[in-house]
Amino acid sequence: MREVVLKIEDLCVDYGKKSILKNINVTFEKNKITAIIGPSGCGKSTFLKSLNKTVEEYGGKISGSISLNNNSIMNMPLEKLRNSIGMVFQTPVVFPFSIYKNMTFAPIYYGEKNKEKLNSIVVENLKKACLYEEVKSDLNMQASKLSGGQQQRLVIARCLTVNPEIILLDEPCSALDIKNTSHIEKMLLELKNDYTIIIVTHNLAQAKRIADYVMYMEEGTMVEMGNPDEIFNNPVDSRTKEYILYMKN
Amino acid sequence: MKNKFQDNLFKLWVIISGLTILIVTIGIFSYLLYKGFKVISTEFIFSSPKGVPLGTEGGIFPAIVGSLLSGLLSGLLGGILGLCTAVYLVFYCENLTIKIYILQALQCLAGIPSVVIGLFGYSLLIVGFGINKSLLSASITLTIMIIPFISIRIKKALEETSKDQYICSLSLGISKSYTIVRLVIPNAFKYIMTSLGIGIAFSMGATAPVMFTGAVISSGIPSKLTDPFMSLPYHLYILVNEGLSVDMAYGTAFVLIVIVLLINLICHLVGNYEDM
Repeated sequence: MREVVLKIEDLCVDYGKKSILKNINVTFEKNKITAIIGPSGCGKSTFLKSLNKTVEEYGGKISGSISLNNNSIMNMPLEKLRNSIGMVFQTPVVFPFSIYKNMTFAPIYYGEKNKEKLNSIVVENLKKACLYEEVKSDLNMQASKLSGGQQQRLVIARCLTVNPEIILLDEPCSALDIKNTSHIEKMLLELKNDYTIIIVTHNLAQAKRIADYVMYMEEGTMVEMGNPDEIFNNPVDSRTKEYILYMKN
Repeated sequence: MKNKFQDNLFKLWVIISGLTILIVTIGIFSYLLYKGFKVISTEFIFSSPKGVPLGTEGGIFPAIVGSLLSGLLSGLLGGILGLCTAVYLVFYCENLTIKIYILQALQCLAGIPSVVIGLFGYSLLIVGFGINKSLLSASITLTIMIIPFISIRIKKALEETSKDQYICSLSLGISKSYTIVRLVIPNAFKYIMTSLGIGIAFSMGATAPVMFTGAVISSGIPSKLTDPFMSLPYHLYILVNEGLSVDMAYGTAFVLIVIVLLINLICHLVGNYEDM
């Protein structure tokens, strides 16, 4: 049975007088990966950032309704909301501390002081992000010294430390090589057992490989959504068809 | 052919400009060091001005201490206010109009001649509030002068170094204040210290603001904030303007430059402590 975790109704986002997202209605299923595709500037990242209200930090204004497990997030405290819906950005932004301190930054803020508990949070989440084996001997190393792919996995692991229900990923592999991209894809497929994942990607092959659902966006609206087979082989809307043909060529 | 000639001409022009700046800077420093070094002695550094007229003999110790105290106090006040202003502008001010007004105000403040700031400090603090001509009133006046330099530099540093990290921290549900105190400020610490060093150096070199508000021709080391004090730039001004001793003036200038360089170096080292 489909279990909807996130329900979006008539979502609009404006930056000043400019309307970026227009009346988006969509639902996201629990423990599934949904890939959002579409041309550059169509509002994919803005849509993702609106789901945990990060868009407001950039001056965006949200209207409409977003419900997480049937509870509206519109008046939910930001701390609680972002604890439930974590976000990973396109460029891996590690904090200017050690790997260990990156991983414990949020748990310490949320009141965790027990050293053993903190250690287990670090190990457990680094393992989930398939990074532990590579860094276990030097957790006190500056995080900025990791490679790009490792930094991106660290950022995902850091996001997991607050136990989110949903993870939003904004083109997490756009700056990575094939090997690191494959690492991340493998990790996402494992993570979906515990989390709901929404990922923005320009890489249609990646969407095909990992997504359970694909959502196509254009000019600030959601054009259609379906499973990868439907969207890539038999799209309903001509705009989706054109985009996929264009990307294939 | 013509393009290549233009390229070479442009290249020559920028090289000459760069070298000119370098030569002028080295020239000024070398000349001051050469002329000033002759009068430097333990007595000059560690004793009070003597002779008739005062300042033709003896040393400049009270002026060194006075300048250091006024510089550090204004740096402390300017650092706190400048950092808070920068944090407000970068992370809290959501109204663009207010932001523009504050930035314009800072730019206007930076453009006000120091003698006018000195006059303002005198009118407000000494005439208006009845504070003595003192270390306190001079430091407050100097603070007004250096705030724009400190806040604009820190604002730029915060925007360039920490904005992405700030957003990432917020996306973990962490509060703004915790993020700023535990992540943003430590991350920009080296830039904050450099800005502070420049602010302190700027305030220590200013003559007009302290002349009206706190510096005197002769005094001991101030024992409290409401005491008047001697200041290196004002002492230098008196030595030259009254024709007392050009040699002593060069010695004073030498000491002032060395202290300013040392403060910049210390701020730089403190800022880079973790990197080392």
